[in-house]
Amino acid sequence: MPAARKPLILLGLILLMSTAVLFAIDKKSKAKHADSTASAVAPPMEDDKRIVHALNRFTFGVRPGDVDRVKAEGLDKWFDEQLHPEKIDDGALESRLAPFRTLKMSTKEMVENFPPPQVLKAIENGRMSMPRDPAKKAVYESRMAAYQQRQQNKEDKAAAGNAAVADPEMSAAKAQPAVVTQSVGDQKDASQEVSAGNEPAPTAEQRKQQKQREDAMYADLDTDRLLKLPPDDRYKAILKMPVEERLDLAKTYKGPRAMQLVDDMKPEQRETVEAMIQPQAVLGELAEAKLLRAIYSNRQLDEVMTDFWFNHFNVFIGKGPDRYMVSAYERDVIRPHALGKFKDILAATAKSPAMLFYLDNWQSVGPHSELALYGPQRFAGRRGRFPRPRPQQAKNRPSGLNENYAREIMELHTLGVDGGYTQKDVTELAKVLTGWTIERPQLGGEFKFNERAHEPGAKYVLGRKIGEHGEKEGEEMLDVLAHHPSTAKFISRKLAMRFVSDNPPQALVDRMAETFLKKDGDIREVLRTMFHSPEFWAADAYRAKMKTPFEFVASAARASGADIQNALPLVATLNRMGMPLYAMQPPTGYSMKAEAWVNSSALLNRMNFALQLASGRLPGTSLDPQALIPGPAPADPQAALAALEQSILAGDVSSQTHAVMQKQLGDPQISQRKLDDADKKPNYGAIAGLIMGSPEFQRR
Amino acid sequence: MSITRRVFLKNGALAIVGTSVVPSFLTRAVYAAETAAPGAKRLIVLFQRGAADGLNIVVPHGEQAYYNMRPSIAIPRQSVLDLDGFFGLHPSMSAFKPLWDQKHLAIVHAAGSPDNTRSHFDAQDYMESGTPGVKSTEDGWLNRAIAGVKEPEASPFRAVAMGGALPRTLAGSVPAVAMSDIRAFAVGGRGPKASVASNTFEAMYEQSVDSVLHGTGNETFEAVKMLRSADPEKYSPAVGANYPNGRFGDSLRQVAQLVKANLGVEVAFADIGGWDHHVNEGNVQGQIANLTREFSQSIAALWTDLGDLAENTVVVTMSEFGRTARENGNRGTDHGHANVMFVLGGPVKGGRMYGRWPGLQPEQLYEGRDLAVTTDFRQVLSESVANHLGNKNLAKVFPGFDKSTPKDFLKYLG
Repeated sequence: MPAARKPLILLGLILLMSTAVLFAIDKKSKAKHADSTASAVAPPMEDDKRIVHALNRFTFGVRPGDVDRVKAEGLDKWFDEQLHPEKIDDGALESRLAPFRTLKMSTKEMVENFPPPQVLKAIENGRMSMPRDPAKKAVYESRMAAYQQRQQNKEDKAAAGNAAVADPEMSAAKAQPAVVTQSVGDQKDASQEVSAGNEPAPTAEQRKQQKQREDAMYADLDTDRLLKLPPDDRYKAILKMPVEERLDLAKTYKGPRAMQLVDDMKPEQRETVEAMIQPQAVLGELAEAKLLRAIYSNRQLDEVMTDFWFNHFNVFIGKGPDRYMVSAYERDVIRPHALGKFKDILAATAKSPAMLFYLDNWQSVGPHSELALYGPQRFAGRRGRFPRPRPQQAKNRPSGLNENYAREIMELHTLGVDGGYTQKDVTELAKVLTGWTIERPQLGGEFKFNERAHEPGAKYVLGRKIGEHGEKEGEEMLDVLAHHPSTAKFISRKLAMRFVSDNPPQALVDRMAETFLKKDGDIREVLRTMFHSPEFWAADAYRAKMKTPFEFVASAARASGADIQNALPLVATLNRMGMPLYAMQPPTGYSMKAEAWVNSSALLNRMNFALQLASGRLPGTSLDPQALIPGPAPADPQAALAALEQSILAGDVSSQTHAVMQKQLGDPQISQRKLDDADKKPNYGAIAGLIMGSPEFQRR
Repeated sequence: MSITRRVFLKNGALAIVGTSVVPSFLTRAVYAAETAAPGAKRLIVLFQRGAADGLNIVVPHGEQAYYNMRPSIAIPRQSVLDLDGFFGLHPSMSAFKPLWDQKHLAIVHAAGSPDNTRSHFDAQDYMESGTPGVKSTEDGWLNRAIAGVKEPEASPFRAVAMGGALPRTLAGSVPAVAMSDIRAFAVGGRGPKASVASNTFEAMYEQSVDSVLHGTGNETFEAVKMLRSADPEKYSPAVGANYPNGRFGDSLRQVAQLVKANLGVEVAFADIGGWDHHVNEGNVQGQIANLTREFSQSIAALWTDLGDLAENTVVVTMSEFGRTARENGNRGTDHGHANVMFVLGGPVKGGRMYGRWPGLQPEQLYEGRDLAVTTDFRQVLSESVANHLGNKNLAKVFPGFDKSTPKDFLKYLG
């Protein structure tokens, strides 16, 4: 290459590069400009979409007729009403929830009514006594017998060798609730038991069940007679059975079959029988209730926010005694503050046994506390009630700081990961919170401040000195965190992510954060600010959010007008979709972003669920496809399609989706032109299933 | 590298068939015979949930302390399947012995997590996220292991898990598929022909202007077709691959099926529970014997079933933590610390023990009670991720882990 050309090329390169840089700068400044004035620039959505949009965001989905109702009432007025759930009548939901007695029980009552192995062991060892109430006693006797049988089985197996592998019964009883499909114990997938049809698996489990059924032939003869008894007599007959017979009953009537056994019984009778033979079923009431609430409650925004805060202050139902605590946690800690002040919900979660156990703070001990230095107090002379710790317990006794909760408070509950705290702050906050513990968590105990576990001395958190005053230190710090500017931003952003888009405009977040700080963290006011912001009503916010599996299932049930008598199949569906209720292990809670929920198996599950629901094949759910269309049902498939699109998607369907469905209308499976059907009614259910599985319905 | 290979294949197939609408699953099938063996590398991760008792699985029979601490549950010296004069396999794991003898099976003892939690929940979480001590990690290491290499033609079956829900370790940016039964991976019922609903949905998503759902929809239906063409109903494992009854055997049979159908599986995950033996663990017979038998027979069947494909496959096993060195008052063991990991595969330099044995003398035990961790589980995984899967960006796969440079590898891959 001639020497003279080199500089030329170089010059050319430099020129090229500098233009590129200039161009980039130009682009950047333009982007910045666009961003800062986003609210002014972003075009608003069309007027007729506003109500659908609001319903999509503040409820779990649009029901047939909802749009007209809100139109009649006025959007602003409707929103204001939703902000005050206490003024909305919810009688219909209440009666649906009435049979679920555990929803009203305290944690302690749960433990008493559904004795965990710890309680049974205590009775076995004479440390506790059997209850006197005959129904309760029957439950205890049954569980005790089952417990002892398991122990015996274990010993037999240990001795026998070659038999089958680990007993699934045992792992199921290992504090793993029915909703958790994969964890320590694994084996028993509740979803398989409940779901009918969709999940074929002639697996070992099924072969085993088959064998059990055969084995139970004779038992069946007897129990069939039992089934024919009126509910009250049936209940009494079960109570009168010898314990062994009751256990056999439990083997014969597993999973959905157990429903027959308790058919038409009074709630407390049903609960007693279930507690005896299938305790997980009763503990699953919480998940059922969550779905029923999302689907049927008139206080929709309250439900949405309860779901939001539970997820924000996530607790995993599968971690030890948390299974008994989560019901009370949602009811007494989360729900009352769902539209209240942030400082209150933060303080309430911090003192909840569910959170203290889940994030280990209950066993955090100040390294210089009395407990760490001198060990637990002796209860001389009362050894009967307070046994000395066995050597093993002593070894496992927590003796140090556990930073888990302190870290998550700042990272996940308040400031956010970039909220400006250091590892030192985490450690210091952990010291502040030492002594915040639970009195006997396995037995349903409540929060207690244990002075003896509290780290003495002053602490320094976020550049602030916290003088030594026990429990008050934690309360002071929680208040500081609740009012921190980083918290205002973090919570506002998360709310905007739930209600607006995965990447909400900064201007909107700032405005919400301003309200948060000005109004003492009043969530109702923050939501009001969002509702009155142009960003909320921007055209590109419409259907910008992908539904999570929970939102999808709830919205499909709402859109279909289905009458759900048994929500367990829906619970099982969510297990399959990877969003088991109350069973998110990490404290992050479930993601609200699209990418977490859009993948092959998830989509297949959604389509199959849509088809199953709309065709009325979902067990425990009755659905009248004709009811999907208000007014007289059209006989013409075209008209039926249009009417269903109107009803399920508020008429807002893409021309592509519409064209595809239109093409399918000629298919006999969809047009359902049965020879003996004089009316030749189109198959509304099949069409509705396709609409609910469409891309449009996956968004809200 | 793999992009060019795929593009080449696709073009080649087009030339052969002479039409432009050949779905890519067909092009893969056309080249199945040639593509299966070379190039495509796979990592299969198996999780023993409940904390397996590594000391009764790979027994340090050369250590008297082991026998002193386990008067009723130790595996007698004359019963173990000796490996190297010091360690031996539990006698019910005879299915592993040939794999060891053929030098396909390597064992890393005293491996585990540096985090000292003894909670199943936390420890499993840490092992699956690959970030011990950090709870807020949202994705899993196995997903990150194949993330970053963006392939437009990537198979929807790159990452698969057997089970109802996607495990933590496969959460992340790479689309991953979880299934408990591959025959159920269909819309509107299974069978050799697609249902009307399936075809309708396929067209709907194909034509959708929703870019996210359009893409995933296409992937989904391609996957469904790929599976259907692989004809899962007709599958019969290779001769000699005898999967034991049970969920784990079922899982591994289906993993083999997916791999052999040449669906582009890069990582697969399956788990086996029931290891939490606090009471009556058993020794030569009993609970541990039954479970180790199921565990080893399933894996050996997978190995046989994979045939030549085993050459490009690495299987790694792990469990959240080990169990106490001493047996407890109930002839069982409690939650401990270090454990044993198995590494099996074509490229594996097997037939030998890896890692450093910390010993079982009281002063050698972790906190006076457990086998100490001398190899971080991420060291073991890093080597497979970097040198088998070819993802050298270990800082992303195991963030905050400073022992993932090649000099920290155990060199079980040579």
